[in-house]
Amino acid sequence: MVEDEQIMRQVRDGEVNRLEDLFDRHHRALLHYFLHLTGDRAASEDLVQEAFFRVLKYRRSYQTENTFRAWLFQIGRNAYLDHIGRRKNEVAWPAEAPEAASPDAAPDRLMEEKQETALLRQALSEMPPEKREVLVMSRFLELKYEEIAATLQCEVGTVKVRVYRALHELGDRFFALRGEPMS
Amino acid sequence: MNCENIREQLPECLAGRLGESAREHLIEHLETCSGCRGELAHLGIVWRGLEALKLEAEPGPAMKDRFQATLAAFEAGLEQGRKVAVARPAPSRRVPPRWAWQLAAGLAALAIGLVAGRGLAPRPSVSPEIAQLQGQVESLHQLVALSLMQQQQSPASRIEGVNYAYRMTQPDPQVEQALLYAASHDSNVNVRLSAVDALERYVADPNVRRALPAILAAQDSPLAQVALIDLAVKAKDRDCASALRRLASRREADEAVRQRAQWAIDQLGIEGESR
Repeated sequence: MVEDEQIMRQVRDGEVNRLEDLFDRHHRALLHYFLHLTGDRAASEDLVQEAFFRVLKYRRSYQTENTFRAWLFQIGRNAYLDHIGRRKNEVAWPAEAPEAASPDAAPDRLMEEKQETALLRQALSEMPPEKREVLVMSRFLELKYEEIAATLQCEVGTVKVRVYRALHELGDRFFALRGEPMS
Repeated sequence: MNCENIREQLPECLAGRLGESAREHLIEHLETCSGCRGELAHLGIVWRGLEALKLEAEPGPAMKDRFQATLAAFEAGLEQGRKVAVARPAPSRRVPPRWAWQLAAGLAALAIGLVAGRGLAPRPSVSPEIAQLQGQVESLHQLVALSLMQQQQSPASRIEGVNYAYRMTQPDPQVEQALLYAASHDSNVNVRLSAVDALERYVADPNVRRALPAILAAQDSPLAQVALIDLAVKAKDRDCASALRRLASRREADEAVRQRAQWAIDQLGIEGESR
């Protein structure tokens, strides 16, 4: 499979129709990133379109020292920041929890899992946005620390510390909601 | 390695992304440090719990359609830009842009419809009910135009909003402001271009003429610059002189834009005036 970076170089050099391949590969992950941040499906879909449009618009500024994915998320993040800049503090976490418990679990266990998931969702929704964001990138999108660093424009070491602290804080909040402080 | 360094590696450990050597160091440390073992256990509960919050939402097919439409419009814009760039401007024989043909065709169809309608229908003056209905349609067009042109709408929707502005039979101050904003600030060049085209009917308005120089000066897209230059000429807007001179003399500006700006300077008779 042709690497993302090679395709993006072709886009940068004028073959803009090649961007469709990159859209096919990455729009799902980008949609999930925005969904995790906004909780709004329509807004997230618009942000995906906006991010890819900005890739087209700024294609000539693409540099190959970072992966295309990191560059795309950096652009997407800027689009999101513009979006919340317009909408002030309307950032919400999705209200509906996805079903995650195993279907063959015992009813009591099932209820307990649901409650724990709801508490964790609440804890995550109460996190400061910048901490929630690194967790989304690391845990849900499975971006490498190098990619997160490129997206957030900081050092890899900084990402390592931020992810740990964000996870630790999430744990504090979650266990506090369960009535058993972690640290 | 101290506890702090070890703990910063725990998320990578839980994600299975820790290198072999680092993992061995971490295990070695955990064997002797109950505090870090406890931390790993607690973080592990949270990390695994997050699995249930992962989203499985699949993008709908409409997303790909929208992307393809944007890509096609962008490619068409590039192609048009290339044509503009290679063609020397010949104002007296200039072929009107495609939108002008489309607009002309639309107007012709409208005229034919009106004539045919008048021929077929009785000719009393418009009844109050019809006038009221026409007013309601006009209001609806205004409402839809303003609603679709908002920035949180997609670029395709914003272009549709501009098209609704076209459909209005009477100029409207709110729509005019929305078009000025879109021509000046919209992030999508295609929306800006559409808005510039739609502003042509408002060109006699002093507000539009006052705004044009600033919009032209702020514009970075060659396509939109050319469209705005043409609009300034149509408006006979000599207030654009400074912006036009800057464009005509700026080395980094697109060649076609420079030539068009020079042509506009000639057309408006502002050559040689003091800057």
